[in-house]
Amino acid sequence: MCIITISRGSFSMGKAVAEQVARRLNYQLISREVLLDAGSRFNISEIKLEKAIHDAPGILDRYRQSKQSYIAYIRSALMERITDDNVVYHGLAGHLLLTGIGHVLKIRISANMEKRIAIVMEKEGITAEAARHRIQEDDNQRRKWTHSLYGQDPLDASLYDLTICIDKLSIDHAVDFICQAAETEEFQSTPRNIQKARDMAVACRVKAALVDDFPNVGVTCEYGNVLIYVKGRDPATGKLTRKLKDVRESVPGINHLETHAGIEFPLDAV
Amino acid sequence: MEPLTLDMILVMSMIGLAIFLFIVEWVRVDVVAILMMVSLPLLHLVSPKEAFVGLSSNAVVSIIAVIIIGAGLDRTGMINRLVAPVLKIAGKSSSGIITAISVTVAIISSFMQNIGAAALFLPAIQRISKMRNIPLSRLLMPIGFSAILGGTITLVGCSPLILLNDLLTPFNLKPFGLFDVTPIGLALVASGILCFVVLGRFILPQGDQKGGAEESSATLAAAGEKITPDTGEIAFYELSTPDDFTDYRDPVFVEDLRRRYLVNVVAITEPPDYKVISPLPDVEVRSGIDLAVSGDHKDVRRMASAEGMHLKETLEIYKDSLSPQASGSVEAVVAPRSMFAGRSLADINFQDRYHVTPLSVYRHEETYRAKIGDIVVQVGDVITLYGTWKRLMELQKEGALLFSLPSDVEEMRPEKALWAGFWLITALTMIMGFKIQLSVSLMTGALGMVLTRVLNIDEAYQAVDWRTIFLLAGLIPLGIATEKTGAAAWIAHTILSVIGDVSPIVLLMVIGILSTLFTLVISNVGATVLLVPLVVNMAIAAHTDPRMAALVVGLATSNSFMLPTHQVNALYMGPGHYRTVDFIKAGALVSVVFLVVMIAMISLLYGI
Repeated sequence: MCIITISRGSFSMGKAVAEQVARRLNYQLISREVLLDAGSRFNISEIKLEKAIHDAPGILDRYRQSKQSYIAYIRSALMERITDDNVVYHGLAGHLLLTGIGHVLKIRISANMEKRIAIVMEKEGITAEAARHRIQEDDNQRRKWTHSLYGQDPLDASLYDLTICIDKLSIDHAVDFICQAAETEEFQSTPRNIQKARDMAVACRVKAALVDDFPNVGVTCEYGNVLIYVKGRDPATGKLTRKLKDVRESVPGINHLETHAGIEFPLDAV
Repeated sequence: MEPLTLDMILVMSMIGLAIFLFIVEWVRVDVVAILMMVSLPLLHLVSPKEAFVGLSSNAVVSIIAVIIIGAGLDRTGMINRLVAPVLKIAGKSSSGIITAISVTVAIISSFMQNIGAAALFLPAIQRISKMRNIPLSRLLMPIGFSAILGGTITLVGCSPLILLNDLLTPFNLKPFGLFDVTPIGLALVASGILCFVVLGRFILPQGDQKGGAEESSATLAAAGEKITPDTGEIAFYELSTPDDFTDYRDPVFVEDLRRRYLVNVVAITEPPDYKVISPLPDVEVRSGIDLAVSGDHKDVRRMASAEGMHLKETLEIYKDSLSPQASGSVEAVVAPRSMFAGRSLADINFQDRYHVTPLSVYRHEETYRAKIGDIVVQVGDVITLYGTWKRLMELQKEGALLFSLPSDVEEMRPEKALWAGFWLITALTMIMGFKIQLSVSLMTGALGMVLTRVLNIDEAYQAVDWRTIFLLAGLIPLGIATEKTGAAAWIAHTILSVIGDVSPIVLLMVIGILSTLFTLVISNVGATVLLVPLVVNMAIAAHTDPRMAALVVGLATSNSFMLPTHQVNALYMGPGHYRTVDFIKAGALVSVVFLVVMIAMISLLYGI
């Protein structure tokens, strides 16, 4: 009864680990489905979404805010998938997108560089030099992405509950460790955790509905009571009021909605 | 025309800086004034003595005395005594009530600060709204505008008029008497009230009893038949927790219930069987206890089912403690200069300090019910509070919040009212009968109130609003510098050379419009200090009576109705549930009428 996120460098065998963990625990395995869900729900092509979550924001993105919107969509789609628990997610940025939920086991899988190069050479039929370049380029993009959006380094071990390097330890070993960790009491879902995940899903739905027009609002939800945090002093701008009226009617799970202005955003605001 | 000198440029830059800072509000207006007070002598634009002459000026001393007299009147409970006879005269129609209360407020406002009069009357108006079932939104704006207009009835009614004679001194112009402006002021008040009586239905929001806030009225409607707005009661529900309530679960606290279900716990049993009214947010909800809550019925039901509580049919254990005779809710407005302003509700901690529970906060068309502890309170916010009348009365005495209590609970001090009235009349007699200077007469009245214990000297000191004092005193040297350096004359001549020859009436109208615009964006005191030297010079150059030009500025700086920037409008905006557009709609009409009536009266009385 837990949610496992597996973060991985490209060609680090994380996917294989995730598949085996899901099989052994009889959990649902998700990755690309989240992008498909987000794409169909918000009418955005999967390629754009993948680019948003993979590539670091460029100079123009800082002004366009589109990347922020896409990430809000992806986060919302992911939240919908995990509210029922028993999920292994090995897509991008799971450990960051699911912050704030108590029973998420965050795993980082890395692999020996030489092994990763060998896999790429075999898979793509390219030289060792090209394979190394490709992997490094990929890792760099990931680091920049995480840094620019969350101010963190994906290689920082403190972001994860468990980091495993597939080198001397095999995939099977990794699966054993993860399954054992998933069964510890700290990662079991409790009524409070489940409520928190549901609330987070509502907050993410609201954020996704607002992000295009109001990228800088923060949203929290507790037992269906949604709070919109706005910078500045006046919450009641006509455009936001109208939009919130729509949101109140169209987004499921809202019990009450109000806007708080000029207050520091709480840490758990999405 | 004199050539432009470096000093003139410096003064104009300082004026520009002051106006800029008034508009952007990076620092408070009184700090801007102090900045001027300090930088002008540093730039050698005024002498050090001139820089601080404002502090000893007739205007500043008068305003201190007016504030103390106002505070004395406030402490007598006189306003509550006034309400009953005034309502008797007013009859039953809402127009009658608006007229009667507005006239009363205007008269009171003519002898004290407008904001003081407005704050003083707010609880009384709230009570009238409940008693006569007239929406607060239909009463507050006309009465608020009357408080502002009432400031033009006497020369001590508002800061710009108090300041006027001091600003005329450098020009050797004859000062105005206390009642010189009275005919104009009365005409302005009458025209303002007439606007609302005749056109009120078109320019005022016709809200429901609760003032038209959709959310709060929806909440109240859902709470069912227990609501009786006339007495300020709210619906209470009693619940009990089962004996295994705390087993196998995280502890549940009073604050959790509010955040999760928007339900306020107003009373709870603490083991073994202490009944705690208005419990602290961190009190734990234990097994096998009873608790009383207020909130939306659907939220209470949701809480009962989600948390496994038993919702009782009627109040049982708390029937007496929560009876309307013992306790109730009030809509408390954060008063000007309230010690709560700028602090969050969590920081104020009403439950711990006053044993009352904040239920919701209303501000700018939004009702806050969830996580209200975070909300930083501002002047004019409406906090709905629940508590026993005794506790609420204690809170009311502190003066930080304005609200009305049931009349049988409210404290009256009639003997003080007699003394307060006596000293007010004495001060006025000294001014009118013996022609003693304004500041001396008013200070005598203030001192009399202290000696006869209407208020004690510490209360008198606390009542003085240092912001107003320094705003006045700090801007006076800017006026002196504008005149002394010739900057005022230079600007006046430049403007006149652009607009050419105009008739005195047109010139006064232009000055009136200019003052109105200035007062909307910068404070009325700032506008007066900057404009009086300018318009006196303009009037002299255009061969118009300079005293009249100055009078137009003094009066038109009270023409601040179109935006909720005036202190009175800002205070009434929350409780009246007004939007900015409501002020624009009603304020535009009243402003135009103000200008026309003012010019017409000046022309009639002084033959311009």
